[in-house]
Amino acid sequence: MLVHEELCVGCGLCVKYCPVGAISIVDRKAVIDQDKCLECGTCGRKRVVKCPRGALYENPGVYTYPRSIRKFFSDPMAYHPETKVPGRGTEEVKTNDVTGRVKRGEYGIAIEMGRPSVGASYVDVEKMTMALAKFNIEYEAKNPVKSLFLDEAKGTLKEEAKQQRVISGIIEFTIPAEELDDVLATVMETAKTIDTVFSLDLICRFDDEHPYEMPKVPELAKFGLEPRPNSKINLGMGRPLVEE
Amino acid sequence: MSHSLHRRGSCESLKDDFVLLVTPSVGINNKGSADALWKILDIVQEVGPDNLGSYETGTIFTGATVEEIRTAMGDTPRVRCCFDSREKMFEVIKRIKELDAGLSVVISGLNEDVLEMAKDLDLRPHSVNYSLGIHGRTEKLPPEEVLEFITMCGHGMISRNLVKENIEAVRAGRKKIHDAAVAIAQPCVCGIFNVDRAEKLLKKFCPQQNEAD
Ligand code: SF4
Ligand code: SF4
Repeated sequence: MLVHEELCVGCGLCVKYCPVGAISIVDRKAVIDQDKCLECGTCGRKRVVKCPRGALYENPGVYTYPRSIRKFFSDPMAYHPETKVPGRGTEEVKTNDVTGRVKRGEYGIAIEMGRPSVGASYVDVEKMTMALAKFNIEYEAKNPVKSLFLDEAKGTLKEEAKQQRVISGIIEFTIPAEELDDVLATVMETAKTIDTVFSLDLICRFDDEHPYEMPKVPELAKFGLEPRPNSKINLGMGRPLVEE
Repeated sequence: MSHSLHRRGSCESLKDDFVLLVTPSVGINNKGSADALWKILDIVQEVGPDNLGSYETGTIFTGATVEEIRTAMGDTPRVRCCFDSREKMFEVIKRIKELDAGLSVVISGLNEDVLEMAKDLDLRPHSVNYSLGIHGRTEKLPPEEVLEFITMCGHGMISRNLVKENIEAVRAGRKKIHDAAVAIAQPCVCGIFNVDRAEKLLKKFCPQQNEAD
């Protein structure tokens, strides 16, 4: 995002809205640090930030690669050219009852780098994908992170992507249940080496014999992990239903 | 993305907080789903959501009208919204079941409540996306009381400074609780930020302001 310097009166209204603190007032003008700005679009939304002078505007170069990486992974109102859907992830559990993406005997994992409130550089995303490379992971095809790999088997990302920071980038994949222990050990070990936070998701099926009990995942306790009491539940209303 | 997952807070504070997601799956059942999705949107409107919005327009709390949201949604609306009571959420799921449209329905909320609703409606939950918490450099996170607001927008649009400033303004008596809750909600564009819950949180964090509102 950019500021029309001649219009800005330095009122400071926009400053508090930036989720990464990229806006400051210098010599009574708003200044946006282009390195910090993740192009999330918030400060430029006229219905949200009522800049009295209409001084904030979108950088026309923001849709040009690689700056566009910031835009597509930070602004929910921007559509990913790769997935044609807004947002940073995929249908994941939302349609699992009809896609069968995560079947019985499998776990879906999502590592949401940068979430919440910190943001992430793709250098950190790469630390995680390189650590996971030993598992021969097949990353979710429709996840936009997939398009940023240099060598998926090694978990390396394109150089220009690594120069970008984003609100969040989601590493998303499915594994056989027997690999959960090792994958979690790797994820928790890598957590110590990164310079940001991540939110961790785990998708699994309900047990047919106990349809109204939350599925148990005994491997979690070993890593001090415990599912929160609130989650996202697919009610199985989609048709045709995938039973496997 | 799992934008409605990872809401923080105690069970007490999350008990009147439900997000509804109805999603046609591309290539499986999206063809011809528009009619059903419009009907579901009608149900949502009739029951009364806490918040409603779209990626194209922003939310009702930034001045988008329901008509505008509907028009901008195009041929296949994505239904994403939140409710501030279990009764309303139950009513919506019940009516979606009666509609029998065969679209995937996901609810974000307290596990216990969602399972109980599923049982009462004779639905068989299919899968769950668990939130396993926040890891890595957690010292970079804002305080928990700020996180409870921020995590109601899973896209990360709500800044910690906006939350802090509004909490302070309410504490100092400069702002009404409702106005502060709306101000914090505005950057969330898709409408899953629960304003009623934000008001309750502000009342909890600024107890001296209870009477003023
Ligand atoms: S809100 Fe507008 S006028 Fe005020 S500081 Fe920001 S850009 Fe300048
Ligand atoms: S576009 Fe987003 S990240 Fe960039 S300055 Fe504006 S609010 Fe901050």
